[in-house]
Amino acid sequence: MNKYIQVFKISFAQEFAYRLNFIMWRVRNVTQILVVFFLWDTIFSVQGRELFGYTRDKIITYVFGLIFVKAFVLSAKAQDVAGDIARGDIINYLLKPLNYFKYWLTRDISSKVLNLIFASIEFSILYLILKPPFYFQENLLTILLFLVSIGIAMYIFFLILFIVSAIPFWAPEMGWGGHFLVTVILVEFLSGSLFPLDILPVSLQNILNFTPFPYLVFFPIQVYLGKITGLLLFKGIAISLVWIVFLWLIMNKIWEKGLKAYQAYGR
Amino acid sequence: MIVLAQKKVLLIFLVAKVFRIIFYIIFLFFLVKGSQTIAGYNSTQTIFFFLSFMVVDTTAQFFFREVYRFRPLIVSGDFDLILTKPMNSLFRVLMGGADVIDLITLPPLYLATYYVGGLLNPTLLGTLSYLLLLFNGLLLATALHIAVISLGIITLEIDNTIMIYRDISAMGKFPVDIYKEPLKGFLTFLVPVAVMMTFPAKAFLGLLGFSGIIISFSLAAIFMFISLKFWNYALKQYTSASS
Repeated sequence: MNKYIQVFKISFAQEFAYRLNFIMWRVRNVTQILVVFFLWDTIFSVQGRELFGYTRDKIITYVFGLIFVKAFVLSAKAQDVAGDIARGDIINYLLKPLNYFKYWLTRDISSKVLNLIFASIEFSILYLILKPPFYFQENLLTILLFLVSIGIAMYIFFLILFIVSAIPFWAPEMGWGGHFLVTVILVEFLSGSLFPLDILPVSLQNILNFTPFPYLVFFPIQVYLGKITGLLLFKGIAISLVWIVFLWLIMNKIWEKGLKAYQAYGR
Repeated sequence: MIVLAQKKVLLIFLVAKVFRIIFYIIFLFFLVKGSQTIAGYNSTQTIFFFLSFMVVDTTAQFFFREVYRFRPLIVSGDFDLILTKPMNSLFRVLMGGADVIDLITLPPLYLATYYVGGLLNPTLLGTLSYLLLLFNGLLLATALHIAVISLGIITLEIDNTIMIYRDISAMGKFPVDIYKEPLKGFLTFLVPVAVMMTFPAKAFLGLLGFSGIIISFSLAAIFMFISLKFWNYALKQYTSASS
């Protein structure tokens, strides 16, 4: 356990070695939130408007909720695994008395902690400047289930990253391409980080619910807003837990085959 | 040519870019279907604004992909080798590596824009203004890219600057009327995203007056002048890393 605590500390400190990169990453996040905020603010500028099942304060809460949920769930270091494999650096880690999976999970957690600190600062600044109407969830059980759904989402995204990062075992040149397609394009649109998925027709939503993506961002925020309650909420959490098991099994299978096929080019 | 040799890589990036455009159009379609309008524009108009943004943004990215490879040249000192060659160094670092993937996505994008534009029953004057202002938007994009690489020579920081530019220009996906002041003013005069992306579509719809067109061309001329001056200044400040 101690070695993973050290990995956490080193990873945390490493973020500050590239301060400008980190600050620019946060500035970019804020810019993206501003676009979404102004879009929905304009659409809901008519007093008392209700659209797609949202009131103005709930949709603005959704947008602001993205700041925290994306900091928790989508900020991850594990996409660097593809680079490790493509360059052959993974061999160094496999030889060490360290579980490679747990190593990257620890690094992910340190990145999330740092991003969460900055997300809190950004949230406060944007809240003071924009003075948005905000929906505060008061039900403690709902808040608890929201945090549970966030934890599950973090793990689902981690597993997705590890699965996609395995592509370079067979095609070293395709590491970034795979990530671009899955973690940039598919996750951005299908997780609800660009727009709430319930603006889409029910038929499309039902198709999306067969993928793990809605459980990354959309589902946790819906839980917080109280839009998913009771049996549906527990069903959603159960499905996301099933996704963890399923993705875990796929990841193990792919990595087992990948390590057998791997030739560590560049080492 | 290197990209063409890696067909799988080419395919995966192509699929990702096509997905991005399709997903965004689906999002805009259902958004405006539910809300009726965005800042007074209906779904066809909103999609046209988005496609106009994509035309300027993707065309600029097609031409200026080499900018994303500029930092290693500065840091390693290989920029010296470019400066000594009998080719304009600005042209080489700006346009020396056009993106083949965008070359494939551009024709269908232009066709889609033409089709959606046709649904809006434009006038001849509106169409001519649109084409001129699209070209003007590309000039502004050129000026901004020159400013970014000039700043990169002085500060060695390009990657983050170019991504900040991309994020700010992404605000042009929607008509800038959705933004409040002072952000709207910032997007019109300081980083003229409105002039690059929104004004062409507004001219097409007959919503941009003569003064708006004059302001657009004037801003492009001013930005080009300043950026070229900045480039010359940056070259004088360049200290080679290798020699």
